[in-house]
Order: sequence, then structure tokens, then C-alpha cells
Amino acid sequence: MSVVARIAREEWRLLLRDRVAVSGLLLLLLLTLVAVLNAYEHQRSASAERARYQAQANREFETQPDRHPHRVVHFGHFLFRPLNPLAAFDPGINAYTGNTLFLEGHRQNTANFGDVRQSSLLLRFGQLTPAFMLQVLAPLLLIFVGHAAVARERESGTLRILLAQGVAGRQIVAGKLLALSGFAGLALLPALLALAWLAASGRAPWPLALLLAGAYIGWLLLWSLLVVLVSSQFKRGRDALLALLAAWAVLVILLPRWLPDLANANVPLPTRFENAIQVEREYKALGDSHNPDDPHFSAFRERVLEKYGVENVEDLPVNYKGLLAIEGERLSSELFNRYADALFDRQERQNAMVDDFAWLSPALALRRLSMAAAGTDQANFRRFLEQGEDYRYELVQGLNRLQAEELDYVDDTNPDKENRISHAHWQSFPEFHYRAPTVSDVMHRALPVGLVLLCWLAVFTVLMRLAGNRLGRVAQ
Amino acid sequence: MKGFSNELRLILRSRLSTSALLLLLVLAALAVWSGLDQVAHQRQTIDRLAVLHQQDVAAVADRYADSADAGSPAYYTFYNTWDPPSDTAFMALGLRDVAPYVLRIRALGLQAQLYDGETFNPELALPGRFDFAFVLIYLAPLFAIALLHDLVSAERQSGRLRLLLSMPGGSRLWRRRAALRYGLLFACLALPLLAGALISGTAPLAIAIALVISASYLAFWVGLSLLIAARGWSSVANANATVLMGSWALLTLLLPTLANIVLSRAIPVHQGVDLMLAQREAVHGAWEVPREETMRRFFESHPEWRDTAPLPDGFHWKWYFAFHQVGDESVAEQVRAYRAGLEARQQWTERLGWLLPGVGAQAVIHRVADTDLPAQLAYRDRIEAFHREMRDFYYGYLFTDRAFGSKGFASQPTFTPRSREPVSFGYQEAATLLLSWLVFLFGIGRLGALKPNGKARPAGRAGAALQGATADAAL
Repeated sequence: MSVVARIAREEWRLLLRDRVAVSGLLLLLLLTLVAVLNAYEHQRSASAERARYQAQANREFETQPDRHPHRVVHFGHFLFRPLNPLAAFDPGINAYTGNTLFLEGHRQNTANFGDVRQSSLLLRFGQLTPAFMLQVLAPLLLIFVGHAAVARERESGTLRILLAQGVAGRQIVAGKLLALSGFAGLALLPALLALAWLAASGRAPWPLALLLAGAYIGWLLLWSLLVVLVSSQFKRGRDALLALLAAWAVLVILLPRWLPDLANANVPLPTRFENAIQVEREYKALGDSHNPDDPHFSAFRERVLEKYGVENVEDLPVNYKGLLAIEGERLSSELFNRYADALFDRQERQNAMVDDFAWLSPALALRRLSMAAAGTDQANFRRFLEQGEDYRYELVQGLNRLQAEELDYVDDTNPDKENRISHAHWQSFPEFHYRAPTVSDVMHRALPVGLVLLCWLAVFTVLMRLAGNRLGRVAQ
Repeated sequence: MKGFSNELRLILRSRLSTSALLLLLVLAALAVWSGLDQVAHQRQTIDRLAVLHQQDVAAVADRYADSADAGSPAYYTFYNTWDPPSDTAFMALGLRDVAPYVLRIRALGLQAQLYDGETFNPELALPGRFDFAFVLIYLAPLFAIALLHDLVSAERQSGRLRLLLSMPGGSRLWRRRAALRYGLLFACLALPLLAGALISGTAPLAIAIALVISASYLAFWVGLSLLIAARGWSSVANANATVLMGSWALLTLLLPTLANIVLSRAIPVHQGVDLMLAQREAVHGAWEVPREETMRRFFESHPEWRDTAPLPDGFHWKWYFAFHQVGDESVAEQVRAYRAGLEARQQWTERLGWLLPGVGAQAVIHRVADTDLPAQLAYRDRIEAFHREMRDFYYGYLFTDRAFGSKGFASQPTFTPRSREPVSFGYQEAATLLLSWLVFLFGIGRLGALKPNGKARPAGRAGAALQGATADAAL
């Protein structure tokens, strides 16, 4: 057995005799298990509930009676954001975004009924999920059990003896690291099993499950490195403990809270209120379809008349009101999308700002990696909203086309006439299906932060080697 | 007094203590400043939007200046509502970053407008805000632990413990040391808070409650630290720190999140989505229902318009607004159930606060700041009341077929923000404090019971120490 392995085994024996370490580990394992089971159960019930609501909304849309197509434009449709299976591992922003999107003509609505507005402030303490356990609590446990790894040997004088016996400082440090990362591996086990199960049962793609597993292995390895490194630098175990706790509080608790506030202050977001007013203003400025002399819409009329080779809108083979509705929706949607894109871009700039600080706190890199792989970050939410908007646009324009083709202009402009088309039309619209990003998309997004995490690991490995060498020199 | 100043000099000479205290002071000041900044930003936004809104209203009034009936004005005119931050909001920003504090509504069905969200960045909201409540609830305990966990063991390590304990009035010395550290920590929290209150013009009672809560929550952690630190002769500094940090993680990270799981499962609130779906069906189904039927249902809740002119043959706006009203009324039951669910969640959180000091302090400080779920619901109530006023105003024109015109626009109702009840110190707050001060007293008592012979207490884990302390206090 090599020296390193012997040191590791010795450290393990001590760890298993330490009541704090063992009870801490058991508590962590138990809670991770609770978190995994709860997350899975919650995910399953929420998925079922949303699928049920979506089916209900689809049914309500398809079973509408005979109606004027424009009534249906206002009746609209509901979309419910489907849950990603890996959200059971890291729900990310899911509790903070709305899940119910109402689609209607002339408007882009917000996704509503998110958990955050339906909960007491208890939610703001965080959520007990596998990701939370591993991101926040597992490092704390590693600090508790590992802070004295080298410092203890120094305090009790055994370090000098070991070195005198010809054990290299590097070997001591490596042995301690081996022991602590083995311990971390134990803490990680239930989460890894859960990931493997999610992938093996076909609920989540293997590459993403592996990416998540790799990210968290890297994260706990990083902490093991940090703990042993700090432990080898301090004369007393107590000082190492305090230094590590301070580092943990700053890296894991303080910075992830403080930096978002900076980003919010630096890149302010416009309120929904003012965006709505601006959009209306710009829309009014484009033209007024009710005004016969309006330049934009009279040019549009001329183009239509020319295309069909007729003199008057009454002679058109299609309903001119329907064409106007199509043109109006096209213009307003362009506007909406411009504002929505500007807003999304601002949010992305904010997030990129926070991401830049991943060089300062690896916790930020891990969080980004984890949410991207689990499909629960802002980019995924944006994807849902954009697909919802595309669906809304197709739906509304489809209805406007029905108005143009199925109704007669003269009838449609007669206020005393009921204009309805058959309810069979409502069933011809396809249902909404969210398309998740491809694995390579996710990998592409995860790559930069993955590199940051690797850099952190590399830096600490180098520091560790230096510390090992120094340990040997100092004692001689 | 001399003892105190000597102790103070001792504390200030320790690099760890002074840097910890300074850091806490800086963090608390930063948090208060950031809170004030946020509140100022919210006020500016409200003012900016008021101007924008005025221009919007003027444009609508201009467009429909000679409108014969009130229908189009009622349909196209938006009203702005807002919920200004309280003068205590800087302490705890609460839900104001994820829930709208400005909302534009019009006289159509309210239930389709009331739950609209505000634009915010969910990734930034996820970790929570950096405000005074965060510094108090998460960070202050860490500083208390750092300053107190080795109160006894440091003396033993330096070999002074036996001497200190055998001195007459030895227990007074420990109390003085503990009280001084507590006082310094509290000052680091209280001074920035007081400065913030002064700047924002906070009512004295509100700031007093916030201070009492801060003092109590800090007392809990100081008490707990003393309990652990005084675990007899065998107490070791890093074991103490481990037990205390473990308790901190348990009380502020683990148990609240566990409770949140239980709470959200026990009290589901899917009625929100239900009412949204049902309201849409009711409103749009009205086009298929005989118009007289809709009017009959409308008159049931609005008998004052029963004897007005019957509906003409063609379209009439009063029917249009009547079915929106009936649509809202048809989901009244779900609205009540939804609200009851939200209130139950809040209530159980407050009850949980009697056992978990962090949750209790969080609840009270957000109540004082008026930024919690009840505050959000109160804003919703205010919008609802204003919406009623708005509807009644238009009904007065629509059901009497009075011309609207620019006169109508001039007499439109105007929104006034909700009035705040002055904060009060009720049993909820008292219950939250009770546990904290008990722990504090036990901690002090335990410290006084240290014996020079070293046999006072067998070494034990946190639980054993707690029991021991309880026994001490009982004696």
C-alpha cells in the first residue's frame, strides 16, 4: 500500500470515529434523499397538473361553439410551461417564473401564477433540493470534517514525525485530500444515483446527467482541495476552521446575493407598465386602420386592390377586414417582439455580469452550469416565452385568415348581422408542444462556465502542490 | 464601569474581533444603503410612470372627446395604480422585487388583470436580496458565533481560566464579557439601521419594533453561543464552532426550506389558475348566452340599475360591461378560496416563527417593512376597491345613456394608494421574542455556573449542553 493510501486510510479511520463527521454525513445523506424524493414527487405532480390544465385549455379551445373568428382571437388560449425532468435535481428559477401564459390578439401577456408570489417569505430562505444540498450544505460539512486534517498533525507534533520518517509533504497533503474527497464522494452518492436513475429510465438525456454529475464532482473536489490547502497553511485547526467558514460565507452566501443587486442597479429593467405605453404609442404612430386617409393603411389598401386587380374593397374575393386584422397583428407583433427582445437582452446582460464574477466565486460558475444543464435557467424560460409567442402569432393570424376567407366583407361590416363560422375550424389548429433545447445547445452554453470551474480546480491543484512542497521544507 | 472599559480594550486589541465587528458594521451599512437606494428607485419609477400615464390618459381623452356614450372611453382608458414603498421598506425589500408595485387596469373584467406579473430577472431574484433583513438573519449569527465560540476555551488555552474562575465575582466578569460583545454586535446592526430610519423618516414605533426584533434575534444567537462555549472544561474551540455553525445551518437554511416543502404541499393554491380559466369561459361564453339572461344576473348584484331602459336591438356597451362584471362575480368563490390558501400559508409561516427564530424575525421585520405577502394582498384589495369605483362611475353613464365627452373625462375617478395601518406590537411579535430571550438567559446563566474545579459539567454535545443549561436556570 502506498504512503498516500495509508495516510488516507488513517484519516478515514479518524473521520469515522468523529461523531460530528458521521452524524453530519448521515444528516446530509438523509436530507439529500428527502430532497431527491420530494423534488421528484413535486416534479411529477406539477407535471401532471400542468398536463391536465393544458389538456383542459386545449379542450376548451377546440370545443368552442360557432363564433366570429375575432371573438376567438380574444378568447385566446392558455399555455402551461412543461417541466423539464432534470428540474427535479435543480429547479433553478422555476419557482420564480410564472407557469401560465395567456395568449390573445394584440397583446403579449406575462406568464403568471409563479410560486414566489403565492408563497410566504419562507420560499426566500431557499428550496430544499438536491442542488441546494450540494451547492450550499455539502461544502460546509467538508469544512467541519476536514479543517483539521493537516493542522491537527501539526498541532500534535505528528507532522514533524511523519516528515522525519521520510514521508514527503506532498504525500501527506495528497493522502488527506484523498480521504476528504472520498468523504465528499459519499455525500454526493444519493445525488449521483438519482441522476443515473433519471438518465437510465430515459427521463433525461445521459450527456446532461453526466454534465451535472461532473459539475458537482468538480465542485466538491474544489472544496476538498480548498479545505486541505487551508488546513495545511494554519498553525492551529481553529484558525483554519474560521478562515474556511469565512470563505464559505463569502463565496456561497454573500457574493451570490450581493452581485445580483449590483447587476440590477447597473442594468435597470423597464417596468411592464411603461413598455405597454411605449408600444401603444408606437403602434398608434404607425397608422390608424379606421381612418380612410391614413397613409400607411391607404397604401396597404392600394397594394391589396392592385394585387387582386379590383377597384373597391367590396369587390375583393376575400374579406378586407380580415386582411386588415392580419396587417395590424403583424405590425403590433413586430413591435412587441422588439420590446420583448430588448428586455430579454437586458436580462441577459445582467446575467452575464453576474457570470463574469464566476472568477471571484466558483459558486456562481457552478450555479450557472447546474441550471443550464437542468434546463431551469433564464435562457430556457426565454425559450418557452418565445415559442409561446410564435404559437400565439400563428394562432391569431390563422384566425385572422379565417376571417378573411370565410366571411364576407359586406356581412362583416354590418353591425346588425351575426357573423359566425363553424366550430369545426377550431380543431384544425395544432396544439402547442414545447421544444427543449438540444443537448449540443446546452453543452455549448455550459462550456464557458465549465472552463471557469476547471480553471478554479487547476489553480487549487497547483496551490496544493506548492503547499505540499512547502510543508516538507518548513518542517526540516 | 472600569471593568467594561478594560474589557472593551481587550476586545479591540484582538484583530479577529475588531475586523469582525468592523465588517459587520460595513455590511449592515451597505445593506441599509442599498435598501434606501432601492426604495428611492421605486419611488422614482412611480413618479416617472405617473407622468407617462397622464400623457396616455390625455391622448385617450383627446381621441374620444366627443364620444356620445361612455363605452369607448371605458374600454380604452387605463388607470394607473401604485403601491408606494413604506418608510420602513428599506429594511426588508421582501416581495417587492418579484411582485408589481405599479399596475395598469381598466374597467373590463378585473380577474383577468389582477394577477399580471412585473418584469424582473428571475435569476437575480433567486438568491434573494441583499438587504438589512439578510444581514440580520443570515450574517449576524455568524459574527456572534465568531466572537463568542471560544469565550471560555481561549482562556483555558492561555492558562488563565483557573485563575479567572477562582477570582471573587468571577461570574460577573463573564457576564460583562458576554454583554459587551452582545452590545457591540447590536450596535453594528442598530447604528446603520437608525441612520437609515433617520434618512427615510421612519415612524419611531416602527423603528423601535425593528430594533427590538434585531436585539432579540441577536440575543438568541449570543445565548446559544454562550451555551455551547460554556460546555465545561473540555469544550474545544473548533468543536464549538462546528456545533454552532451546524445549528445555524439547521435553523436558517435547512428547517425553513423543509417547512416550505411541508407548507406548500399541505396548502395547495392551484385555485388561481382555476379561477383564471373559469373567468375566461364565463366572459367569452356571454356571447352565446341570451343577453337578457346576462342582464338578469347583473341586476341581481346591481339592483340600482334594474329599472333603466331595456337593451336596444343592436350592440350596447352596458351589456358588454355587464358580462365582464358577471364573469368576475361567477368566480368569486374561487377567488375567496385562492386568497384563503395564501393567507393560510402566511399564517403557518408566522406560527413557525415561534419555534424558528430566523423565520420569526424574518416575518416580523417584513411585516414592519410592509413588503410581505399580506402587503401584496392589501395592494390587491386596494386595486379591487378602486376597480369597483371605476365600474360604478361608468355604469352611471352607460345605464342612463348620458353623454360622456370631455366632461366625463374630467370627472374620472382617481386612484389613491392604500393607507397603512400603523405597525403594532402584537402577540405574534411577543411570541417570536420569547424563545430568543429564554435562550439568552440560559446562556448567561450557564456562563455564571462555570466552576474553577473543572468538574462542573461533563463534556457533551449541544443537546446535552442545552439540557444542562435548562437545569441551571431552573435551580
